[in-house]
Formats: sequence, C-alpha cells, structure tokens
Amino acid sequence: MKPVNFDYARPADVGAVLDLLKDDTRLVKLIAGGQSLGPMLNMRLVQPDLVVDLTSVTELKRIEERADEIVVGACITHADIEDGRVPDVTRGALPKVANGIAYRAVRNRGTIGGSLTHADPSADWVSMLSAVGARVTLRGPSGSRTLPVEDYMLGALEADLAPGEILVSVTIPRLSGQARWGYYKSCRKTGEFAHAIGAFVVDPERRISRAVFGATESRPVVVADARHLIGEVDRTAPARDFDAATADATLADGGMADALDRQMHVVALRRALEQAR
Amino acid sequence: MKTVALTVNGSVAAAAVEPRTHLADFLRETQNLTGTHLGCEHGVCGACTLLIDGVPARSCITFAAMCEGAEITTIEGLDHDEIATELRAAFTREHGLQCGYCTPGMIVSARDVVLRLEDPSEHDIRVAMSGNLCRCTGYVGIVRAIQGVIADRRGRGIRAIPDGGRQVLGPAGSGHAAATVSPAAGPARAAASAKATPRQAAATATGAAHAGSGWKPQTTFNQSFTVAHPVDVVWDFFGRVGEVASCLPGASLAGEPVDGHVEGAIKVRVGPIAADFHGVADVTRDEATRSGTIIGSGKDSRSNSATRGAIGYTVKPGESPGRTRVDVTIGFTLTGMLAQFSRSGLVQDVANRLIGAFVQNLEARLAHQGDGAPAPAVAAEFDAGSLMASLFRDRIRRFFARLFGRA
Repeated sequence: MKPVNFDYARPADVGAVLDLLKDDTRLVKLIAGGQSLGPMLNMRLVQPDLVVDLTSVTELKRIEERADEIVVGACITHADIEDGRVPDVTRGALPKVANGIAYRAVRNRGTIGGSLTHADPSADWVSMLSAVGARVTLRGPSGSRTLPVEDYMLGALEADLAPGEILVSVTIPRLSGQARWGYYKSCRKTGEFAHAIGAFVVDPERRISRAVFGATESRPVVVADARHLIGEVDRTAPARDFDAATADATLADGGMADALDRQMHVVALRRALEQAR
Repeated sequence: MKTVALTVNGSVAAAAVEPRTHLADFLRETQNLTGTHLGCEHGVCGACTLLIDGVPARSCITFAAMCEGAEITTIEGLDHDEIATELRAAFTREHGLQCGYCTPGMIVSARDVVLRLEDPSEHDIRVAMSGNLCRCTGYVGIVRAIQGVIADRRGRGIRAIPDGGRQVLGPAGSGHAAATVSPAAGPARAAASAKATPRQAAATATGAAHAGSGWKPQTTFNQSFTVAHPVDVVWDFFGRVGEVASCLPGASLAGEPVDGHVEGAIKVRVGPIAADFHGVADVTRDEATRSGTIIGSGKDSRSNSATRGAIGYTVKPGESPGRTRVDVTIGFTLTGMLAQFSRSGLVQDVANRLIGAFVQNLEARLAHQGDGAPAPAVAAEFDAGSLMASLFRDRIRRFFARLFGRA
C-alpha cells in the first residue's frame, strides 16, 4: 500500500501551477487535501510522475463574500465550511452537509474543489451544490471560464477539465430569507460512500425550485425546475406535494434501469423533503 | 529524497524522505514513533489518526512533504494532555480496548469529540467516532468512556470548543512552508523502462489469449442496429479487423492479422486513472452463420492489471432489401490492480460509455461504406469525459423532451 515514487512540487500561485501542467510528457496530478487521491495513490490505481501540491497557493484558500453570493477558493476544506470559518449564505445547508462528509479527520483536509474535481458520484458536494445552484470557475492556458457545478461533472470520476486547466473557486449564491432546503443520503455505514442522495432547494423570492438525485452511478440527475416534482414544500407537511411517480419516471429517463435503485433515490428525495429546514 | 522538517510533539524532526512517504511512515520509520498505527492504509480504519496543527487527520493519506513546517502531535505527545489523560482512565475503566491496535487513533478521535461536542447523545458519539474501527470491543466501552469524560468535564464547567480552536483556512498542515517548485532530477521512473515493457507484456499475454476458450466475461453488453448496406458489404467490413478495432476509442493494431492472430493496444483514461493495455487478439469467422468473434487480452504494465475482452457479431438481412441487421455482443473482465477499485458501478458506467462509443463509431463507419466519404475520426485515446459529453447530451435532451413534452 505504498504509492509509486513520484516527484513533488509546491507552487506558490496559479500561474506556476499552470506552467507545471504544460508538461504533457509526464502524468501530472494535482493534489489538494488528498483525501480521495491519497487512497488511490496508495492502491496504485493512480501512478503519476509528478504530484503538484495546491495547498500553498494562497488564492485557492481565499473567500470573498459579496452581496448576493460567496466565492470560496478550491482549497477550502469541508471543516472550514462546517465550522463557519466560511460565512454561511445558505441558511445552514452547506455547514450541515459538510458535517456529514466522511469523518472529521477527513474533513480537516478534504477540500471542496478536490471533491468536485474527483467527481465521485457518491460525494456530497456535487449533489448539494447542484441543488443550491453553485458555479465553478476554472482557469487554464486560454483564460478563465465559469460553469454550473452539475455541468462540471461529466460522469463517474470525470470532470470537465480541459488539458492544463484547474478549478480555482466555487461561487455559491446567497439564499433569501424564505428559502428552504433538504438533504438526505443513504449510507449503510456512517461516512461511507452514499448509495442514494436526495437534495432540494426552494427559494420563492428568487423563483428557484431545484431538486437533485445524487449518488447515481454517473452524474447527478438535476431537475432545474422541480415545481411539478416537489410542489410547494408546505411548512407543516413539506413532503405533501411530492410526486413519487414523477420522481421514478425522471430517474428512469435519466438512465437508471434498476427499480430498487430508483426506489432508493425516490425515498432519499422524499426524506430530504420531510426534513426540510 | 527530500528533507522534510516538521514539529513533532514539540520538537523539530527532520528526515530525508521520498515525496511518496506518508506522514505515518515518516513518524514510524524515521522518528521511531510507532504509536501511530497503520491499519487499512487508505483512510478507512482510523488507526493512524493523529493531530496536525491541533486537529485530527489521517496520517496514512497525508504525505509528509505536504505538512512541511506543521505541528504534529502523535499519541506519544498526548501523555500529559488533560483530555487524553482522562480518556485513558475512562478507557481502562470501561473496557474501551482489548488488543489495543485501534486505541491510539481512538484516543485522538475521542479527544476531538470531547473537545468539540457540547452535549452529544450516544448516537452523536457513535456517528462522530464512526471513522475509527475497532474489531474487539463492539464499541460499547469506548462510547461509555467518552460519555463519562464529557459528563465529567461539563460538570466541572468546561465548555466545548465546536471548531476545535482552528483559525486558518485550508487543509490542516498546509501553508507553513515556502512554496518550492522543484524541477526535480527527472521523472521518478525512467520513461524508457515504461516503453520497454509492452513488448514483454504482449508476449506474456499471448498464452492467455489462446487459453481463453472456456472464458466467460464478467460483464457483457448486447446491442443491435440496422445499416443501409447489403449483408455482403457489412460481412466484409467485419473481416477487416483493423477497421473494427479503430471503432473502439483508444484501440489500435500493430499490424494485419496473421493466422487469425493480431497484436494491438488500447489506451483508457478514467479520471486520474490511466491505463495502456498491450496484448493480442484471436480472430475467428464463420461464413455459414455469418458470425465471428474477436477475443483479446492485454496487460497494462504500469498498474500490473490485465483485461480480457470479446466482441461477437452476427450479420443478417434486414427487414428490407439492401439493409443489414448487426447484432454485437461485447464482454470484458478486468483483473489486477485496477480491479481492486471496488466500485463496480463506476467501472460499469465507464464501460457503458466506451461500448456506446464503439457502437456509434461502428454505425458511422458502416454508414460511410461505399459513399466515398472519409471515415469519421476516432479518438486516439478513450477519454471517458469527452465521450460522456456527447453521449450524455443525447440522454439529457431525451429526458427533458419527455419531462416537458417538447423536443
């Protein structure tokens, strides 16, 4: 369980990272907290020639709070969000989800950018940040681009990262005072990979109603206008309008063939609604 | 080798280690601090948990070089720590350990629970401790010990510190050392040796392809489609193995088949995983049934993994004259290092995308038969991402069409 021998670089800024990525004669892997890449390196599933440590790049550990959103650097950890070192703009949604990621010892190193780029379908951030409507900003040799979190993930373990590009920040919109959210994941053991995730955000003031089925075997199934699926999210009976048949059909259309699998995802979204905050 | 200097239990500790050396090995091998235990060595069991800059972290998946300048506290450094002292007494009292292998990690995580959680229920404690596995006690004693220490401390008016006292952003242990972009003395493994192996691998795989008569693939996938060409044309196409292979993204042949035997390679890239399988394939064709098989096996020397795959095809007349129905069966088995990646669903997702692309390319190639147009380009390497984009766009479009009743 030892990785192959690799070279190590710790650049000071994004420009230096991009320079290192230009070398296409070597297999270069970026590492932030290393909580997903570390195990894969130890198991030699990944055998890079060069590992580039992003954690000395101060830009990637910065946060910038604006009137209607907050921009968090790619190397912000789950614990930073859980503990409130990153101001919460989501009415408790992100701290609560962060609190449920793996274990505290992992959350102290694992990062938001690393999780999104690793693109494990079972990970929490890709599902919850899709529900919230967050965007990622990438920087590469030909400049910068911004895209929705759900578009950044292309499939299992595959992010939309062009050669030489890195994820620099995640922009999270501020939910209004009326916004409500829910998140439920089904795990056989606490902290392990989820088998089904349900998440939703409704924000009438911002005319948003989004629902997400996560922990599929590929990208999450995002319903950008979920009014027909989850309805009003009533204050006293939040799951009252939930349409399980539509949820099941949505998953079937999304390519989920196994009925049991669909059932788990339908239940996950229903429970997310029942636990609406 | 690179000198890494850290503060361990209050003193400076420096040693020359390879960049791949994780923190637990650094401590155990160079500092003789063997209280940090290694269990699973991939971040699951929690035995190696220690404090980095005062907060718990997994030392088996944290590289020492990434913690340059950080403050590390191991179980040996907690001898005089107030909470750890109380926990040791409570673990003894409540039978919180038997063999002791998990105990150093348990104490570090338990200390964090005592420090951060104000008034946790038994359930809260079990959830918070779920990243530390114990195979002896059944956890009852461990949970009781933690409950006891918390009740006692809160009774003495000591409040919890929910953020554990951490003030800075980013991964624990990072940000202490100056940036270094070490150009390094060249790649860790010489490129030449990596290039030399495929031939050898192909030779080893030769026997395997032959011995494969009774082999059944782990995963199979069937697909049928119809093309607007006569059966004879399509049957001839399948006889040109090189063209069929080129429909499989990343696949290439070393030459034309000799006696139904051909050497080839396939490159696959899935997220951080890159594999380059070199091997051989056996080709059989049966004129009578208009069916054939291409059975290949190959090895990826870098990951020491092997794969075997079979493509079966049957061509028959379609519903109208001049049309041909093609039934394709694709199966594969993966063994070795890459197969350890025990997330079969993800492997299936990737395989489905690869096979989907193969069938698309096959249809496109066949559609171009005889119309003089150049054959469509095929990716030189299977990149799950770029393929996914195109395949998924279709799926999404269909999905929304169904959902909102419009195309």
